[in-house]
Amino acid sequence: MKQMHDSIIVQAMSRLLIPLAQLFALYVLFFGQYGPGGGFVAGVIWTTSMILTFLVFGLKSPQGRLVEKVLHGDGIGLIIFVGVGGLCLIGGGEFLNYANLEIPGLDAPARRYTGILLAQIGVAVDVAVTGISIVLSLAYHDTEQEYDV
Amino acid sequence: MTRHLPAILFLLPLGLAICLPLIGIKHREWCRPLSIGVLAAMVPVSFANLVGVLQNGTIHYDFGGWAAPVGIEWVADGLASVMTVALSLVGLVCITFLSSVLFPYLGSRIVPFYTLVLLLIASLTGMVFAGDLFNLFVFLEVSALCAYALVGLAGGKALVAGFRYLILGTFGASLYLLGVGYLYAETGTLNMADLAQRVPSLVASKAFAVGVLFMFIGLGIKMALVPLHGWLPDAYTYAPDRVSPMLASLVTKVALYGWIRIMFWVLGAQAVVYQIRLLVLVGILGALAALVGAFLALSQVEIKRMFAYGGLSHIGLILVGISLGNQTGFVGGVFYLLNDAVMQAGLFFWAGAIIHLYGVRTIEDLGRLQGGAGWMSVALVVIALSMIGIPPTGGFFGKWYIILGAVEAQNYLAIVAVLIATLLTLAYFVKLFERVFRDRSTQPPPLIREIPLAVKIGLGATSVAVIVLGLMSDHIVSFLLKNAVPPGL
Repeated sequence: MKQMHDSIIVQAMSRLLIPLAQLFALYVLFFGQYGPGGGFVAGVIWTTSMILTFLVFGLKSPQGRLVEKVLHGDGIGLIIFVGVGGLCLIGGGEFLNYANLEIPGLDAPARRYTGILLAQIGVAVDVAVTGISIVLSLAYHDTEQEYDV
Repeated sequence: MTRHLPAILFLLPLGLAICLPLIGIKHREWCRPLSIGVLAAMVPVSFANLVGVLQNGTIHYDFGGWAAPVGIEWVADGLASVMTVALSLVGLVCITFLSSVLFPYLGSRIVPFYTLVLLLIASLTGMVFAGDLFNLFVFLEVSALCAYALVGLAGGKALVAGFRYLILGTFGASLYLLGVGYLYAETGTLNMADLAQRVPSLVASKAFAVGVLFMFIGLGIKMALVPLHGWLPDAYTYAPDRVSPMLASLVTKVALYGWIRIMFWVLGAQAVVYQIRLLVLVGILGALAALVGAFLALSQVEIKRMFAYGGLSHIGLILVGISLGNQTGFVGGVFYLLNDAVMQAGLFFWAGAIIHLYGVRTIEDLGRLQGGAGWMSVALVVIALSMIGIPPTGGFFGKWYIILGAVEAQNYLAIVAVLIATLLTLAYFVKLFERVFRDRSTQPPPLIREIPLAVKIGLGATSVAVIVLGLMSDHIVSFLLKNAVPPGL
């Protein structure tokens, strides 16, 4: 859908549903340590909300442009993930051994909690951006051209 | 510090790969120097890792601090460390070759291109170190996804070849995963060392046999073992000339390494599947691959395709070596694997350079060179001598140890296969040389362009490396015998 959906009902419902979906994604992300959920699921839910955005409002709308901008975040999620792991490495433990995440004022359980949360945020960001880029490249990008490599 | 080196070795290319898209927004021209820098940094780290492993024994790296059977483990033993040294050296030369002087400018696609190349290197490192079967699968898939994208980068025919590679490669990966699933269902563990302890009690189990066969067929597709090689010639022929060396020298070799790891370290050298000794099966398939690959190479007209089939035959030779069931043969096979990585890189450097400097794609066209490719022809001759197996190059000593192992195992079929494959290799290189040195076509001589530095480095390094490997073969082989031989062989 390259232009805005013409049904007012769909638009109104989406305005309501998209923030709800995003809120739910955040809930799943933060609740993931105590129950079902976590970074991957949260990322997927966030992606669906963004896909809904440009299906309903179109890529040219302000909302759609925002989604396209997200694509530049390719890799930020991984940077967060590897960054947390690397900090553990610098702290003297193994890669991703959160007990060695040297944050002053935190005891070992709190360190593990923070570490897992940060790593999950990285995973969520990455999954969300990847999902969007898959949908965008399948639906919109022109693949017919031939390159000289 | 030493015990973290495997993880650091993996994180170097991975870290740059994920930072490149951000760096590339503003500074596209930094991609190449940064990538070369990271690969150059990997070389000393891999050597330090090798030294650390030799001094302190095998490194077991537990990710997240969870101990082995439960957590994810990386194992850096002698063989894995030697492989990573080879991987980083060959990777460094290959990435130097990706110069824009020789090839068309990539423009904005230079950022994803270098990201993919670095991810490929990182995932191959991960495959070498992986200590459990599922991790091996993950890195196998990451490396394969990068390879599909790199093959299809050129669009057009390459896209079709890349798509075919994707379908077959995914099929292979699925079979491998299915096989891992069977083994997991039987034993409840994925860790290689843990699994190796439980394998002896499973010999009678049909699920185990089916799982092993699925894993073998899956990895067979990935390493392009001959009946399963359908994707390889097209993929390497139509892949962009700058990436073919990297794909040909590293991707199939590391898949083969994965099978070596599973066959000897998990299943054990004496493994039996349906009353057939696994080593015998692999040896027969290897001999077949060595002969068929070389024979098909003989009948090719396109240079890159000929080299691709030559690579298939060498995969077979390596399998013949490792499946002889004695230490000499195994070490010969591994030594040949290291050689083959260098030789394949060199051959595809040459083919890529010839295409872009002189516009020569087929053997017919080679006459147009009129012997004018200068010392590039010398490099070709050196690498070809190694491919054929003439001393003092590394290829000769690889074959020599394989034959010694075959004599020791009294496996005369293997000796015959290696000798015939050698003769066929000689035949197709004679066909090539005939055109390069003797054919004087009536067309005007080629426009002599200055040979770019990247080609000089690539061809120079690989041709020197095959000679050094040959001269040092005694040390390398005794080193491998001491440090890289699987238990129970």
